[in-house]
Amino acid sequence: MISLHLIFKSMLRRKVVTSLLLVQLALTLALLSNSSLLALQTWNQLSQPTGLDLDNILYVSLKPTSKNLQEYPAFADLLERQLAAVRQMPGVVAVSHTNQSPLMEGGSNGNVNDENNRENNTQSVPQYTVSPDFLKVLQLDVLEGEIPQKIEAWDGESTVPVVLTKSLAERVFPGKSAIGQLTNGGPVAAVIEDFYGQRSAERVMYNRLQIAQIYGVAWGYGIILRVEPGKAKHIRSQIPDVLKTADANIEIFSVRTMDEQLHRMFRNEFGLATLLAVLSGLMLLVSMISSYSNAHFNALKRQQEIGIKRALGASKQGILLEMLTENWCTTAAGAGVGIVAAWLLNQALALVISIPALPVWLPLSALLMLMCCVTLATWYPATIATRVSPATATKTL
Amino acid sequence: MEQFLYYLKVSLKSIRRAPLPYALTILILSLGLGVFFANATFYYRLNADPLPHKSDKLFFPFMNLVPYECQNCEPPNVLSYSNVQKLSATDIPSAKAAMYSADGYLRLTPQQPPLPVKIRLTQPDFFRMFEVPFLHGSTWPDASARAEVILSRHTAEKLFGETDVVGRRLTLDDFEYTVSAVLADWTMLPRLFDANNNNHLSEVEDIYLPLETGYDRNYLSNSQSSSFQDADYRKLATDGRTKAIHQLQFWVQLDTPEQQQAYRQFMANLTADEKKAGRHPSTINNKLVGMRDIVAHFNQQGGDIKAFALVTLLFLLVCLFNASHLSLNRYIANQYEISLRRALGASRWHIQQQALADVLLMAGITAVAALLIGYSGISLMNYLLPANRLFSSWDWALLLSLLAVTLGCSYLVTLYPSLRASFGALNQQLKE
Repeated sequence: MISLHLIFKSMLRRKVVTSLLLVQLALTLALLSNSSLLALQTWNQLSQPTGLDLDNILYVSLKPTSKNLQEYPAFADLLERQLAAVRQMPGVVAVSHTNQSPLMEGGSNGNVNDENNRENNTQSVPQYTVSPDFLKVLQLDVLEGEIPQKIEAWDGESTVPVVLTKSLAERVFPGKSAIGQLTNGGPVAAVIEDFYGQRSAERVMYNRLQIAQIYGVAWGYGIILRVEPGKAKHIRSQIPDVLKTADANIEIFSVRTMDEQLHRMFRNEFGLATLLAVLSGLMLLVSMISSYSNAHFNALKRQQEIGIKRALGASKQGILLEMLTENWCTTAAGAGVGIVAAWLLNQALALVISIPALPVWLPLSALLMLMCCVTLATWYPATIATRVSPATATKTL
Repeated sequence: MEQFLYYLKVSLKSIRRAPLPYALTILILSLGLGVFFANATFYYRLNADPLPHKSDKLFFPFMNLVPYECQNCEPPNVLSYSNVQKLSATDIPSAKAAMYSADGYLRLTPQQPPLPVKIRLTQPDFFRMFEVPFLHGSTWPDASARAEVILSRHTAEKLFGETDVVGRRLTLDDFEYTVSAVLADWTMLPRLFDANNNNHLSEVEDIYLPLETGYDRNYLSNSQSSSFQDADYRKLATDGRTKAIHQLQFWVQLDTPEQQQAYRQFMANLTADEKKAGRHPSTINNKLVGMRDIVAHFNQQGGDIKAFALVTLLFLLVCLFNASHLSLNRYIANQYEISLRRALGASRWHIQQQALADVLLMAGITAVAALLIGYSGISLMNYLLPANRLFSSWDWALLLSLLAVTLGCSYLVTLYPSLRASFGALNQQLKE
């Protein structure tokens, strides 16, 4: 039978050592809980629905290197040659021009409102100028209305019809059909399925499309294409040469899959979560070293006491359990303080980064993990302690 | 010295007797300090003041002069051309410069492959305000449009293979320009004159073009361009100058508190006049933000580095507690030897000197290990958070501070155990 009273007495005898151990266990639990929370948050962000086929859509970001080619009509001709060249590549299903890619932090955006009722004005809505095949590339269904088939030019006189994603249409025109309604950008021609546009937008699924020429290429432009499953890698390696064959006077900034776009968008969160995970691993290692050292030193100091206990009939298992229990008690006490520390750290982190509130189960899981690590680290010195021979230990009495 | 060498010898002997606890103490302390070093490097660099003797005199004026009504709105982060004209129409500042950045392609001849370059479109006072050094030539004589460019040293060497190229011709985006000056080696980190959209984390530009020429040639900002009325942003030469197309940063140098107060009053008068004329429908919200506060104003103080700074400090604390704990165990294990020395006549001061030798030895080994771990940490952070990669280098001031921290931590770790060993009851210790 293990006496908790005696264990606490033994811990109190080594007040300083025990206190140091308690503080570090508490801080370890606090950090472990919060870094796990951040890692979970990043994972949730990366796995949230985007409405896009992440592996089979490629986005090429590029720009003409000559001022002449950056302006119409030369640019229209260049784009036509580029799209035709890409369309002919084996494995390409559909291709479209676009002023920007989906799945971005920010980009070209603006207000969208009902011209007859500005109460539902929606800010920072991504604005895409694309060709009709954009929907084929993204595999988006038209829910209402019809997609205009003519690519409009920006002549400053005619209004260009707009296409809204479902959630934006419901936001701007609540309780009624958006088709035919007038927005500040033009009349609504169609409503399509939602897809992830820009992270900085009011809602990530709010998007506005116009079937039109690209307005200007000062920031570059994009060619977006859907490829047959399994062909993305091959086409990606071929596409720079194909585009350069169409016209060599271009700079290609990047060729990415939508999956890469998504990861790029959460790169900072992913980086911080990884750093905190590495730090948590190091903290667990430090705690294990500490527990090992504490148990080892304790066993050495208490050789005589253990020997007497053995001489009085204590079993090896009893001694082992006593040593382990002492460490479990220390860990549990440290964890008690650690739960408060975890909550405080969560509050402090929330001041500088976006982090959700700490759910109760997370510090408890962290405690379980800490217990496992501490048990593993204590096992060897505790086993050594059970090997103390009663005869040797009591020789000097 | 001889005595010190003796103490070092005793320390080494003590380490050899029980190498594992010592190695673990060093490992834990090095881990804590290494991780701390890595983060401290970024924190120190990102919060550095690039113009410490002048940054309190440089200001960015913001005002809500936009053609729409907005109550309690923050002013836009960038200004329109006409707003800059209005803010420039005074002699109160000692210097003033509007600016923005754009992308372009540089060639020596039309046949040559293009060299992608970053362009800063600005006015002559820019170079004086931010103390940009010239290697050859000088800045433009005034702020008017001219087909003259100023090259960074790196760009001149890349394009011409030499730096003394004043008067030579080049082609930028299909237009011909003359090189009017070449800058000496210059960098500004963080680049506080352009802190919007985290641009202060980037390198300075490759080429400088007069702002008026930039508007004439329709260069659009590559950072932020907002239009607050129906305007064609492809026509900067016309719409850009007259309509609410906002894309400019504007800095003024105000050397004295009186100048600063006078400029604030000038801004207040300006917005009051605009309101009276019906051109300022929004609530007046003027701000004169100092260079030291500009990153905070744009709310771009790298939260990830701050968050990591908080946890690395906690980690260092944990490692300090842990190393103290291990060190205490080591000293308690050596208690008998220390007590015996005291019984044979060694004073407490002698014991403390021995502890000091231990500290120096520990600090030396820990510093080397911590710098190695710190370097690995910086490489990992550069890989995971590449936006901050320009802020990852060490200088002597930083290195010396880090070494002082190591020495301080090593002393802290050894302080309590050595005091306990020196001041305990001798009889009791010898009996144990």
